[in-house]
Amino acid sequence: MKKAMQLKRILNNMDYMLLFSVFALILIGITLIGSATHANIPSPHRFNFIIRQTIFATVNVALGFFLLRFDYRMLKPLAKPLYILNIVALLGVMFFGRTALGAQRWLQIGPISIQPSEFAKAIMIVSLAAFTDKKLDTLGNFKSWLPIFGYVFVPFILVMRQPDLGTSLVFIAILFGTMLICGFRRKYFLAMVGVGLASAPLVWGLLHEYQRNRIRVFLNPGLEPYGSGYHVIQSMIAIGSGLFTGKGLFAGTQSQLNFLPENHTDFIFAVAGEEFGFMGVTIILLLYLIIIYRGITIAMNATDNFGTLLAVGIVSMFTFHVLVNVGMTSGIMPVTGVPLPFLSYGVSSLTTNMLMVALLLDIDLHGQKLRFN
Amino acid sequence: MLNKDYAYRLEIMMFTAIAIVCVLIGRMAYLQIFRGDYYSKRAEGNRTRYTRIIAPRGIIYDCNGEELVNNKPGFIIALARSNTKYKPELLKRLSMLLKMPQEQIEKIIETNKDGNEPIRLIRDASPELVTKVEENIMYLPGVLIEVQPVRNYLNNELAVHALGYVGEVSEYEITEKVYPDLKAGDIVGKFGLENFYDSYLRGTDGSYREEIDVNGRAVQIMDKVAPQPGQGLILTIDAKLQRIAEDAADRQLRALNCNACSVVVMDPYSGEVKALVSRPTFNPNWFVNGISEKNWNSINNNSSYPMTDKTIAGEYPPGSTFKIVTGSAALQEKKVTPNELIYDSGRHWLVDMRNAGGEALGYINFKTALSASDNVYFYEMGNRLGIDLLDKYAADFGFGKKTGIDLHGEANGLIASPSYKQKVFKEDWFLGDTFNAAIGQGFTLATPIQIAQMLSAVATDGKRFKPHLVSKIINDDGSIVKNFQPSLEGSLPVSQENLDLVQGALKAVTKEGGTASSLESLPVSVAGKTGTAENPHGRDHGWFIAYAPAEKPKYVVVCIVEQGSYGAVSAAPIVKTILEYLFADENKKVGK
Repeated sequence: MKKAMQLKRILNNMDYMLLFSVFALILIGITLIGSATHANIPSPHRFNFIIRQTIFATVNVALGFFLLRFDYRMLKPLAKPLYILNIVALLGVMFFGRTALGAQRWLQIGPISIQPSEFAKAIMIVSLAAFTDKKLDTLGNFKSWLPIFGYVFVPFILVMRQPDLGTSLVFIAILFGTMLICGFRRKYFLAMVGVGLASAPLVWGLLHEYQRNRIRVFLNPGLEPYGSGYHVIQSMIAIGSGLFTGKGLFAGTQSQLNFLPENHTDFIFAVAGEEFGFMGVTIILLLYLIIIYRGITIAMNATDNFGTLLAVGIVSMFTFHVLVNVGMTSGIMPVTGVPLPFLSYGVSSLTTNMLMVALLLDIDLHGQKLRFN
Repeated sequence: MLNKDYAYRLEIMMFTAIAIVCVLIGRMAYLQIFRGDYYSKRAEGNRTRYTRIIAPRGIIYDCNGEELVNNKPGFIIALARSNTKYKPELLKRLSMLLKMPQEQIEKIIETNKDGNEPIRLIRDASPELVTKVEENIMYLPGVLIEVQPVRNYLNNELAVHALGYVGEVSEYEITEKVYPDLKAGDIVGKFGLENFYDSYLRGTDGSYREEIDVNGRAVQIMDKVAPQPGQGLILTIDAKLQRIAEDAADRQLRALNCNACSVVVMDPYSGEVKALVSRPTFNPNWFVNGISEKNWNSINNNSSYPMTDKTIAGEYPPGSTFKIVTGSAALQEKKVTPNELIYDSGRHWLVDMRNAGGEALGYINFKTALSASDNVYFYEMGNRLGIDLLDKYAADFGFGKKTGIDLHGEANGLIASPSYKQKVFKEDWFLGDTFNAAIGQGFTLATPIQIAQMLSAVATDGKRFKPHLVSKIINDDGSIVKNFQPSLEGSLPVSQENLDLVQGALKAVTKEGGTASSLESLPVSVAGKTGTAENPHGRDHGWFIAYAPAEKPKYVVVCIVEQGSYGAVSAAPIVKTILEYLFADENKKVGK
């Protein structure tokens, strides 16, 4: 009886706008993955990607609903162990990880390849929110921020050394969101930007050769039209040739004939652009905007700082992902391995993003409970 | 504690997110709407491969429908176009397999870098080479074996100077836009009728477009346009006669130990050329796929220019054949009567110029003078006519300008004149020059085809037709595109009475007492004229020209043997063999 009451209360107070946007994106994603992996062409394994993505989406929905029973504040004491687990996992990748595309990013567990860096993003959001929450009262001058910087820096450097520039920059995005919401002073911010620019040559030296190349090619895609620039050029051709209404599902020549590489993962947005056209991508981008808007609303309405910080971290992560991924596929951002939330194929990424949505809903629900009481 | 401003800061966050999404939508609008056409074209270019199907060139037939030139399937080894550079290993492997230096392959790739067709490395590859490439095709990504029509000259050298040959369009022709619609590697008529009628023979290429994947594998054929075969030519040439004429010429050249000669057989009433022989010769099949160095050297080192069509481009002094012009002019201008007797003492009394053999014929009339080819008599005719009148008649007989035969490269020839001598040699004109002009020596030059036209005008009682080699242009299905009618170029300003006199004298040439009495044994009466063209570089060239039957001419035969000396000895036997064939049997006669 109590359980039924609880379920009813959850359903009554659910942020359906957020939920609808997420489900819509996941369904669009599965469709696009099907198109990108030629599920329309008979072959023995043609449904593999769709099936896996669908299974994980379903499991995550169930998991998410289950987790809504718990108050997000229960995460607070878990922050420290999670943070340590995170560092151990990242070190694990460094020593035991499977190498792909010149970077160690995967841990093989049974039939599934796990990308710890995807979960690292979630852990970073939770642990940073908890850590910042504890320090909130002391935050003020620049020096007071140093522990927080240090807290982000350790996992940041570990991910960057994988090397996974994309994920490490997600950490920075989460940190930025946190800094913004906690009133990091503008003069400090400007000073940091100045220092950052001044130390650019040093950072350049720390980058891997392929990363430097990506930046070079980003600045001038014609540099290697058939090398690193190839992805971006083909992706732009795919999007551009989609015109207003798109070529139709399964009818995108760029993706169907494999001119578009990585088209079910990082470049899925180009498939959307080619097959669904401007109308389709606009709808997709507006769905992301709804998610961000709901996330910010939840941050606004959260009854405690921890909830606000969590929601801000999640929103920062989503915003950054959309900006970098869509920017990359359309040629206005350098190529970094950042998947598009809910659309890109990848069980680690999908799980992380769905759990983060569940967390937003949890903050919303449990905040309301307090208010109602 | 999060201070009160955090709502304001969340609004900043919201605006940032809205701004980001707006920028991204803007970017999409730019790519998909403003630049949509551009990217659509690029996507189309990515996925489609255009392959041209080369149209077979038109078939060339002789006047009896015998195929002289057709097409055979040829294997082409080519490289598919690639977005990336060809791997050096591939080029190295190809170089070894094709026995072609790698630099040469790279050069071909470079010269063909624009365009969308495969880059053709070897045309008409041998079956062995095709097999070798096929066996290794797994290790040769991007290498294609295409089948395309290759020009085939069925009889090799036969009538090559009329037929011509084809070859790849040259770099010069491309840069100068001689053929605006052709690209490097295309085949074009280079010489002869292949060249003159190239636009008819070439046809319209077809094409097909395939959808390809990123690896260049064809996914499906999108559309196909069948090639339009070139239009065919029906020639006036009679291949059987041509063979007889070539054999006769070759045999005589061997016997005389000479290198070069020309033969023209023409229908005087239509200008239809029945046979066209120029020696030495060459094989047009050598050029079809690019000539080998060995073959090229064999042509290039031959001092007698095998690739010059001597029937239209060889300029020779007409020698005594010109006496037909001088004689006609003198009669028409009433400078002499047919019966006036002129005394030949062996030399002319005004200028010390003599007969070629040193003979002296005494008192002779017009007929004897022309049939015996007396020089002194015609010196006197030159003297009485004067050079200007002589030149006017020469022009009326077609000297000094192209006949307009349907071949490129025809020479003008030359009519000797005081102004020419003044211009070129800066010397005054002497009576001796007029004497020389009157007997076709000195400055006057004519091509065999001009001589054939001149004699035809006499044979037809004054009508001068344009020589031509093609009677019809036909479509693939045999329907007629163009029918070439005889083209009357002019009429001789000579009365029938005077032409009868000239014709009578020419008939006497082949009779007892004439300069070519050896032709008397023919079963048909022949009118002819011998000639000897003085050659400052060696032995004289020998002319013999004839038409038969003398009463109702069907054929004009003109022959010159370079350095053959007396025409009666060198050229006449060739003409005789041809006439023997033509009149061997009324039932077996060819042509009309």
